Amino acid sequence: MAELARNEGNVVQQEEKATSLWKEGWIRFRKNKMALIGSGIVLFFILLAIFAPFIAPYDMNDQQLSMRLQAPSKDHIFGTDDFGRDIFSRVVYGARISLWVGFFSVLGSVVIGSLLGIIAGYYGRWVDAVISRVFDIMLAFPSILLAIGIVAVLGPSLKNALIAIAVINIPNFGRLIRSRVLSIKQEEYITAAKAIGMSDARILFHHILPNSMAPIIVQGTLAIATAIIEAAALGFLGLGAQPPNPEWGKMLADSKAYLTQAPWTMIFPGLAIMLTVLGFNLMGDGLRDALDPRMKS
Amino acid sequence: MKKKWLLTMLTFLLVAATALAGCGKSEQTGGGKTEEAEKPTTLVYGRGGDSVGLDPATVTDGESFKVTKNIFDTLLDYNDGDTTIQPALAEEWTISDDGLTYTFKLREGVKFHDGTDFNAEAVVFNFERWANGNADTFPYYGSMFGGYKNDEGHVIKEVKALDEHTVQFVLKRPQAPFLKNLAMVPFAIASPEAIKKYGDKFGENPVGTGPFVFKEWKRNERIVLEKNKEYWLEGHPKLDKLIFVSIPDNSARLNALLKGEIDIMEDLNPSDLAQVEGNKDFQVFKRPSMNVGYVGLTVTRGPLGNKLVRQALNHAVDKQAIIDAFYAGQAQPAKNPLPPSIPGYNDAIQDYPYDLEKAKQLLAEAGYPNGFEMELWAMPVPRPYMPDGQKVAEALQASFAKIGVKAKIVTYEWATYLDKVAKGEADAFLLGWTGDNGDADNFLYALLDKDSIGSNNYTYYANDELHNILIEAQTVSDENKRNELYKKAQEIIKEDAPWIPLVHSTPLLAGKANIDGFNPHPTGTDKFTKVQFK
Repeated sequence: MAELARNEGNVVQQEEKATSLWKEGWIRFRKNKMALIGSGIVLFFILLAIFAPFIAPYDMNDQQLSMRLQAPSKDHIFGTDDFGRDIFSRVVYGARISLWVGFFSVLGSVVIGSLLGIIAGYYGRWVDAVISRVFDIMLAFPSILLAIGIVAVLGPSLKNALIAIAVINIPNFGRLIRSRVLSIKQEEYITAAKAIGMSDARILFHHILPNSMAPIIVQGTLAIATAIIEAAALGFLGLGAQPPNPEWGKMLADSKAYLTQAPWTMIFPGLAIMLTVLGFNLMGDGLRDALDPRMKS
Repeated sequence: MKKKWLLTMLTFLLVAATALAGCGKSEQTGGGKTEEAEKPTTLVYGRGGDSVGLDPATVTDGESFKVTKNIFDTLLDYNDGDTTIQPALAEEWTISDDGLTYTFKLREGVKFHDGTDFNAEAVVFNFERWANGNADTFPYYGSMFGGYKNDEGHVIKEVKALDEHTVQFVLKRPQAPFLKNLAMVPFAIASPEAIKKYGDKFGENPVGTGPFVFKEWKRNERIVLEKNKEYWLEGHPKLDKLIFVSIPDNSARLNALLKGEIDIMEDLNPSDLAQVEGNKDFQVFKRPSMNVGYVGLTVTRGPLGNKLVRQALNHAVDKQAIIDAFYAGQAQPAKNPLPPSIPGYNDAIQDYPYDLEKAKQLLAEAGYPNGFEMELWAMPVPRPYMPDGQKVAEALQASFAKIGVKAKIVTYEWATYLDKVAKGEADAFLLGWTGDNGDADNFLYALLDKDSIGSNNYTYYANDELHNILIEAQTVSDENKRNELYKKAQEIIKEDAPWIPLVHSTPLLAGKANIDGFNPHPTGTDKFTKVQFK
């Protein structure tokens, strides 16, 4: 009876704390103009991606070789590329690819990174040593080089590029979580949980993980921006999306020969990459200011 | 927060400013150099890919031949602008009335780069070496001389040294293009001593009698040749050094030329033609067209084994649109494997018209009403017959998609690409051919006869009727009769459709305005003996 009451109390207290953290965060976030602009941009591209078939005026892969390299006009507001494809339609569909790669690669690295980070941080000793050294080894490589290496092994495709990007970001999240776990582990409520004989799994997933959520979200948002750039870089090198997929980086690579004659072939995909990345960065910065306890003034 | 933004922007500006300043500066020094330089003696030749090997007998790719042409000499050579025969290492020759015995008088006093003598024994040694090989070791020998020593089709019965400077070839059957074949780059005479010394490594240490001596090879980067001071042609070569550099990207290569890093570039993007023509510091060279760019349809692979499928794919390609888009009009649509400039070209043949309905109908007849999936291989490097294989592949991919054929574009590094295609691992693949001796035999027999499977017949297409015609054409010396046979051969090939012939292009090169004596040869391999700076 007594134990039950104590448990209930614990839950209630936790919920209160959580609500106040998120609520407080939202208030701070709302006040941050830059963060709102960033979220606006991100939302814009998400809508673009969702409603692409309704927004794009042409089939993204429809080639009209006689209409190649047309300057922007009323028919083709972003102009046409060297195959006579409508660049606007391709940029719109490209949002799907870039966001898809961005979200899912980061989701992958968050899940695996967090798991490894928690295990390393909580159990310590040789488990920690092994996992941390593996992270160190991975971080020793320039990330894009590691990604190229992974794609070279798996073979060039969008899916493999996504996997590669997910893998190279694992250590970032792993380290972040590990450090959070190390500090949370010392908290009194964890000691208390241990004292009442709570299982490791419950402590990890009901107490430590929820308390590490804020930095994961911040880091995750910023990582999406990096992931989009990395996907574009791999696409540019021919290691990501394969033709005729309208991936932005690939569009840049395909058009680079026409930089002087038909600059619109590069400007619009380039702008799209820049804007989405800017959007995620602004939003991520805003979230950090709002949520990250270390930044609290 | 604000401060951070300001800092970011400032950094950005700084980087941009530095980059821009860098551009301006390098252009200035480039311009200055050309003005103050007196008369350069080093020529840097920029091309799209690296050589596969420098023992010409072991390779079949143009990038290797371009270099070996300058390290080695052949018994006979071609005229500057065409493929008429002229003396080289052999000064004169006689042919017996039955067309079976060729006797060559060799040039005297010629030495290999390693100091050993060039003589009749060296010629015999080289031919013995090739005849004792096989399609893996000396692929080109087999396709030009009907196989190897113990093969029934082998043309050469024996090669004898009559004396120090006379060599005699005895043939089993007459071969009309025999002299033209001897003049081909792969049949260059190499130093027997060097071959014995280096063995398998001879391709990395080539020793010939040519105008330039091999110096250094950094893979995928550069091959350096130096003047052969003892060259038999008095007063030649004019250059002290000849460097071949590989710059895969056509635009990057043009930039290198404009910045003065290279002196001649191959494979100018047709779309950049106007830019070079409008600049008085540079000149454009047009190589006479003797090539074909094609899509090979490997007949041993899945649906492509069906003739109707191959014909359907032929119907699905709009060649003129591809030429307008990716050759800037510097090409003509191909309907035959032979370029029109070669005797024996069959102009009466009707090409498969661009007709998607007909293509779908043929696919349905073949049992693929909903199409199928296949790989479409695209070469990774620009070729004279195809400045941008990736783009052409993408255009083809869209065309094929319209008849339900889903093509996945695949590419490999160039040497691997050729190797895998030769092994028949590709479904459909882009490739092309530049004639090496100006004879129909060098296209039809070399590329499409069943004897050439494993060497240059990459589609594994084999037709006995065609084989008999091509062999007969080799033995007939009457020009008209030969041409008739080749015309018939082209009809058979058209019907069986192992290829989609795409284009015959006019390859474009660009170079500095002060280059003199450079006449691009239709074979695609140039000898730099007479080239110099004005």
